[in-house]
Amino acid sequence: MTAIPTLLAIILVSFFLMRLAPGGPFDGERPLPPETQAALQTAYGLDKPLWEQAWLYVSRLVQGDFGPSLVYRDFTVSELVAQGLPISLTLGGLAILLALLIGISAGLFAAVRAGKVADKTIMMLATVATALPTFVTGPALALFFGLWLGLLPVSGTGEGFSWLIMPVVALALPVSGAIAKLTRAGLATVLKQDHIRTARARGLSETKILFKHGLRPALVPVASYLGPAAAGLLTGAVVVETVFGLPGLGRYFVQGALNRDYPLVLGVVTLYAALIISFNLFADLIYGWLDPRMREG
Amino acid sequence: MRALLNRKHWPLWVVLILIALALILPAILPWTYDQIDWDAVRAPAFSGSHIFGTDEIGRDRLARLAAGTQVTLMVAIAAALVSLIVGIAWGATAGWMGGKVDEAMMRFVDALYALPFMFIVILLMVIFGRSILLVFIGIGLVEWLTMARVVRGQVMALKERPFILAAEASGTSSLMIILKHILPNIAGVALAYLMLTVPQVVMVESFLSFLGLGVQEPLTSLGILVKEGADDMDMTPLGLLLPGGLLVLLLVCLTIEGERLRDIYS
Amino acid sequence: MSLYEIRDMAIQIDGRQLVEGVNISVETGKCTAIIGESGSGKSLSCLTPFGLTPGAALGSIKLDGIVLTGADADQMRKARSQLTGFVFQQPLTALTPHLTIGAQLQEAAAQAGPARLSRNELAEKLKRVGLSRADERLDQFPHRLSGGERQRVMIAAAIAHRPKLLIADEPTSALDASLRGEIMALLDELREEQGLAMLLVSHDLASMEGHSDDLIVMDQGRVVESGPTADVIANPQKDYTKRLIAATPHLNEPAPDLPSVGDTLMDTEAVTVQFPRPGWRRGKILAVSDASLMVREGESLAIVGGSGSGKSTLGRAIAGIGPLTSGSINWQGENLPERRARSLAMRRLIQPVFQDPVASLDPQWKISDIIAEPLNNLRPDILRNEREEMIKKALDDVGLGIEYLTRAPTSLSGGQAQRVAIARAIIAGPKLLVLDEATSALDPLVGSSILELLAQLQRDQGLSIIFITHDIASARRICHRIAVLDDGEIVEMDDMAAVISNPQAETTKKLIAAS
Repeated sequence: MTAIPTLLAIILVSFFLMRLAPGGPFDGERPLPPETQAALQTAYGLDKPLWEQAWLYVSRLVQGDFGPSLVYRDFTVSELVAQGLPISLTLGGLAILLALLIGISAGLFAAVRAGKVADKTIMMLATVATALPTFVTGPALALFFGLWLGLLPVSGTGEGFSWLIMPVVALALPVSGAIAKLTRAGLATVLKQDHIRTARARGLSETKILFKHGLRPALVPVASYLGPAAAGLLTGAVVVETVFGLPGLGRYFVQGALNRDYPLVLGVVTLYAALIISFNLFADLIYGWLDPRMREG
Repeated sequence: MRALLNRKHWPLWVVLILIALALILPAILPWTYDQIDWDAVRAPAFSGSHIFGTDEIGRDRLARLAAGTQVTLMVAIAAALVSLIVGIAWGATAGWMGGKVDEAMMRFVDALYALPFMFIVILLMVIFGRSILLVFIGIGLVEWLTMARVVRGQVMALKERPFILAAEASGTSSLMIILKHILPNIAGVALAYLMLTVPQVVMVESFLSFLGLGVQEPLTSLGILVKEGADDMDMTPLGLLLPGGLLVLLLVCLTIEGERLRDIYS
Repeated sequence: MSLYEIRDMAIQIDGRQLVEGVNISVETGKCTAIIGESGSGKSLSCLTPFGLTPGAALGSIKLDGIVLTGADADQMRKARSQLTGFVFQQPLTALTPHLTIGAQLQEAAAQAGPARLSRNELAEKLKRVGLSRADERLDQFPHRLSGGERQRVMIAAAIAHRPKLLIADEPTSALDASLRGEIMALLDELREEQGLAMLLVSHDLASMEGHSDDLIVMDQGRVVESGPTADVIANPQKDYTKRLIAATPHLNEPAPDLPSVGDTLMDTEAVTVQFPRPGWRRGKILAVSDASLMVREGESLAIVGGSGSGKSTLGRAIAGIGPLTSGSINWQGENLPERRARSLAMRRLIQPVFQDPVASLDPQWKISDIIAEPLNNLRPDILRNEREEMIKKALDDVGLGIEYLTRAPTSLSGGQAQRVAIARAIIAGPKLLVLDEATSALDPLVGSSILELLAQLQRDQGLSIIFITHDIASARRICHRIAVLDDGEIVEMDDMAAVISNPQAETTKKLIAAS
């Protein structure tokens, strides 16, 4: 229930921070004549009192109007966002699915082999994976599979789906490592608990004990990691989109940030915040399913 | 101290050796990190006095690596210490006070957690200009959240322990209870999370620098070196692989050591 | 030939022999009880033959004609699923949190065969173990049920597949005192009705009497003594058994000789403690309401009640380490304020001792510093060199030598740690000790030695004691009077002998029955 106020707070804080900033997008190398300055200020509503600008901004936002972009003069922020969002969502969505798939199965496998070589190897690999920043793996993958082996496209969206492979893998790697570790640790804790002994006393097979009684409570830490993971993926996407030249939200964000395009940056931040918050709500639902005790506040 | 000599602590030794190299190398290398050797642009490894060669404008790669590691680690340690102090103060206060104060303080932490913090940091960079000070204030202010949560949880658990109640009955003041009973008992966990915060900060700083929003030229950092290497990787792959590999090695070692400490103390 | 027969069993874990020479036999319709302190190997002896511990059991083990020694995982699983039912100690954690009661009962019933039970049949099984609103319960998750209810579900699940042998490992130890009798009665009833053989494990001798036919006493991995329960208790042969029986408090043992009492020392008037509800919700939880009691000089008062009765909260309010909402606590007629408002001189008068001895001592501190803590704060008048003498004397008073001064709390056993906690409590010269379940977490022999120590302090130092417990029989050993607490209210208060011989309140009757 705190989602809407949190979102509003983020928007307002970002908005006022932006307006506090010294300098603006029209401070080019050659100063504009004062009349032109003033005309531009009026055109973009920058001469109104701050609170009124904020109110205007929020009320337009509700109708899906993010205002004009100051750098990409021919586009509105809404247009840019509408173009970038599907690409970023595809990247992020595929990456989290891949990370869950790899992470949970690796963690499960390691837990079953607890203490053996396979367990230690997987856990070491997982630790290495969590320490792989996308801005290193992205370029490195592009170097190996793109430039040297020539297997995958290095830049742009191109035909088919092959352009997705490297960005998604670079994004998913650290997250899958973290999920593997959480799954492994969760299972190690749960498998020692009393209710597992009860299940064992009932003569259930080890597989059934693992999947029916053990896995769900063991995934609770994974669920609580999903929120931060989503935030991590979005930031990672900023890099990956830059590295692989994909026209997603992240690239607009960086361009906007480097060029002080306030409406664009503000729009993207708002959207990011909304995405992360809705993802956290989704994670809460999963929480309740994994452990019924969490359903009551 | 002797325990540190154990073979298990190899990651810590790797980190310490890298730090030592980063500090010593600039003093003994014939080139500084921003010096341009006009006779050797994109020199391959082991050419003349350039052990790892030079970059696309002729700067010595090893000197740049050493300087970059210095800056990256300096920012990381400073920011981790900021997060340690803020996190312990915030978490211990919330945990000790309990009730509505705790509720309010932790709600605030939850709210910040939900923020896309990297974007807020970037926002700050955009607004207040790019300075190294801002980089680690921004990072430190974000990374204290985990520390605050951990410390608060520990304090909450300790506060209910009978030995705290016994200390209260023994006439020990609240301040002395916190200083002499609570802090010594959370020191181990705090140290472990400090250790885990360092790689987090390294990651954030490199990320910002990579995007051109962090450390600014002529200063360099591992993130900047990775960025430069990535831009020139079709010509000299070494420029990407060296700083990238070094960064990953640092991150892996710090993470392993931190997780080991955490498992011991919690 | 018994249904379940163990001859000369040894148990090894990681090459270490933890149990040896154990013989157990259980007959159909009968109950055999194994009794022992923690670490005696009693649970290990019960669960290892079925592969439920990491250990390996050697020797001759036969269940209904099947040899369990050396059985492979499949055979072991079959022995568990078809012939045996298990009830464990911790009902709060023994059920899977994300599966409904119905699903878990169904799973338990299906272990012997593929037949699915109808909803009605499942509900019947819950009714049989005394659960009301059985149909509704089937759809509930375990966390909605109380500890006692969950233990009933555990029992229903353990017998749902009609096993021949029921193994109950401390089935009542984690339950509230007033529930223990009911659960034991239920187990007796089911055993008779279904012709079950039952193997019962407990650390509490008193709770086994009247429920078991045969008794096995274990200590340090070996059987000390075994035989028909009544015989062993009436006429123990071995020294250990004798000590164990003597250490177990009984309501029908002769009344102790307690020191005489003086004038009123401390009294409370209408003490009420409320806690705010957690979170932002409004409202209060009433933990203690209108409690008025008094303690005389040299007198011991028992405050007895089940968990959640508010007895600890009341004790903490009196000791000045917990909140006090309204009412007053007076010391020889003078008002004592709440918590941090108390002066050092006031704090000196009353000192607490807690249930968990190990958690009572800061793991980072040395024993000498722990004992010195009250002295340093509460007795600034005492010179440094005198302090050292006082610390040594306090250690001596609780029966520990000076070699303990430099030890770390983590190296102490529960009994030793509790003695250190008592030394800390008495060093600054208090007049009243508030002991909160101070013997409940200890093994019977250790617990009774702590009770003896308290009786000695009562006699030698004229200390008054508030003894908070759920166990009336323990309290009777040192207490003159008793106050029974239920739901935050004092429901009965009188001389110990009067209350035991003629209890008035329902709670008191239940607590007496459980002792």
